[in-house]
Amino acid sequence: MWEQIIVNPFTNVLLVIYKLIGGDFGVAIILFTILIRLITHPLMVSQIKGSTKMQELQGSKEWQDIQKKYKGNKEQLAQEQMKYYKQIGYNPLSSCLPTIIQIPLIFGLYQSIMRALAASPLQLLTLTRTVYPFFHIGNLVPLNSKFLWMNLAQPEKIYAFGLAIPLLAIIVAITTYVQSKVTMPASTTPGDQGAMMGKMMALYMPLLLGYFALTFASGLSIYFITSNLIGIAQYALLGKVNWRALIPGQKPVQTTALSARKK
Amino acid sequence: MKMKKLALIGLLLVPALLLAGCATGLTASSWPAMTVDAKNVYLAGGPYVYAVSLETGAQVWRFPDKPSAANPFYATPVLTPDGGQLIVGGFDKKLYSLDPQTGKTIWTYTQARDRWIGGVVATDKMIYAPNADYKLYALSLQGSLQWSFEADQAIWGTPVTDGTNVYFGTLGRKVYAVNAQTGQQVWMQTLDGAVLGAVMLGPGNMLYAGTYSGTIYGLNTTDGQNVWSKQATSWIWSGPLLDGTNLYVGDANGKLFAFPVSGTGQPWTKDLSGAIVGSPVVSGKNLVVGTEAGSVYFVDLDGKNARPIAISGKIYATPVVAGPLTLVAPTDGSATLVALDETGALKWSFIPPK
Repeated sequence: MWEQIIVNPFTNVLLVIYKLIGGDFGVAIILFTILIRLITHPLMVSQIKGSTKMQELQGSKEWQDIQKKYKGNKEQLAQEQMKYYKQIGYNPLSSCLPTIIQIPLIFGLYQSIMRALAASPLQLLTLTRTVYPFFHIGNLVPLNSKFLWMNLAQPEKIYAFGLAIPLLAIIVAITTYVQSKVTMPASTTPGDQGAMMGKMMALYMPLLLGYFALTFASGLSIYFITSNLIGIAQYALLGKVNWRALIPGQKPVQTTALSARKK
Repeated sequence: MKMKKLALIGLLLVPALLLAGCATGLTASSWPAMTVDAKNVYLAGGPYVYAVSLETGAQVWRFPDKPSAANPFYATPVLTPDGGQLIVGGFDKKLYSLDPQTGKTIWTYTQARDRWIGGVVATDKMIYAPNADYKLYALSLQGSLQWSFEADQAIWGTPVTDGTNVYFGTLGRKVYAVNAQTGQQVWMQTLDGAVLGAVMLGPGNMLYAGTYSGTIYGLNTTDGQNVWSKQATSWIWSGPLLDGTNLYVGDANGKLFAFPVSGTGQPWTKDLSGAIVGSPVVSGKNLVVGTEAGSVYFVDLDGKNARPIAISGKIYATPVVAGPLTLVAPTDGSATLVALDETGALKWSFIPPK
């Protein structure tokens, strides 16, 4: 089911792009990532709107009053918060649901990249069964897995001064960190747990994705880097990038709410 | 707050584990391969190389002591002509020489940059080892590099040598002849598809190779000229088998072909159930072929009768004949290795001890 709906179509689209651009798998991954990010753009906009609205209401007097009033009773606090959400017509899932929907697409993208690279016999056999009949597998193989200095089917390292430097893993970690920092909504509420979690994510995610880039095929790193850069660009186009967040010691600036901008 | 931190770490770990799980789809990256001597069958499959007694089916030894699921062994293990070394490469980019008696490491070659997928060819002086890093490595029997030759693409198939040249195919649709002493290219021929399996030398200075586009080529070993070709109905994975009269090869549609290469041979085609990935082998008066559908076929050499024996699992690996036994290593089967007698009855099966 997962294979038929997500992985197989993704793999074939990736291969169509690969063929159309003349057999450069690195460029095919970049274009495919852009395509997926464009398709999921409305979800991202919805997520930004949701989290912006959440921030706005957390700064409201009514919200603060509820927090103070039910400070000692977590159950009652949760009930009152839900009541308040209903009252103002806010769905608390609106900020996280789009992210949840995007996760399978990201996994599908990753699996399709790994499948199309077909770096081992069983993977090639699986690819053979995945490609649609309009492809002639004999003409498709071998896929050109070389991109710049990399073999996309292998973890990347460049050798300099007798050292093996995982350049892509470093770039993945940096771009992930930058994306997390500049797209993190500025919090105006003291003790905002959402903001604290966001800060933790900004710390852990670069390490996690950097580790993946270090361990897995470099084709995946190309996807991570492209995805991070496109993500920053999307936020920038929506006026939601906070570059000051990259400067240590700078206080965050509240970016304009999407809803406000559109009015 | 501590609980929240734990929840967040959990949230990060779930996708991490899922991604890792996807990546370890790489763990089962190929299928087992084997070779035999008078006493044992040596099987490279998954995290271990096993030596299994031909007599009893019991494990004699296994290598390494500490396995890595991320770095399995799938290249065909090969014995040196004196039987003193078992050469096998792993997905950890290392080529090992093991003592066939004990499984202890004699030497390790660590300079390759990619996985060892194809088996080596060993002579009484040299070891010619193909790697997925596009290179063919020539090593002494002590494991020191003599020369290396860089081809256009990954080399997955086992090379072959006539003493003068080493011949091999690449995923880049090329077949190369390289001087066995110096590593200099003698000729290179472009075919219509990737050469995934071994190439085979035949009489009359001929070299045979099957392609992923479904063509069998006969090349002149002197200059690489294409002097003979036949068409299968789908892709060909493993190398062809030559018995002096016919060239036998199977394709993805389950068709087994016999193409005459001498005046006395007769062409025939036999339909079997399931894709044929491994090469056929000769056992007495039969050809033995495994299929993806999980059957081992004993086919008469004239192609008239085919007797299927059902085996648990998919059969991608080329079967190996050891005297009266036919050894089959299924993928995803209940046993890692099964031994059939001449009637096709199960003699023993090997399930690795935990």
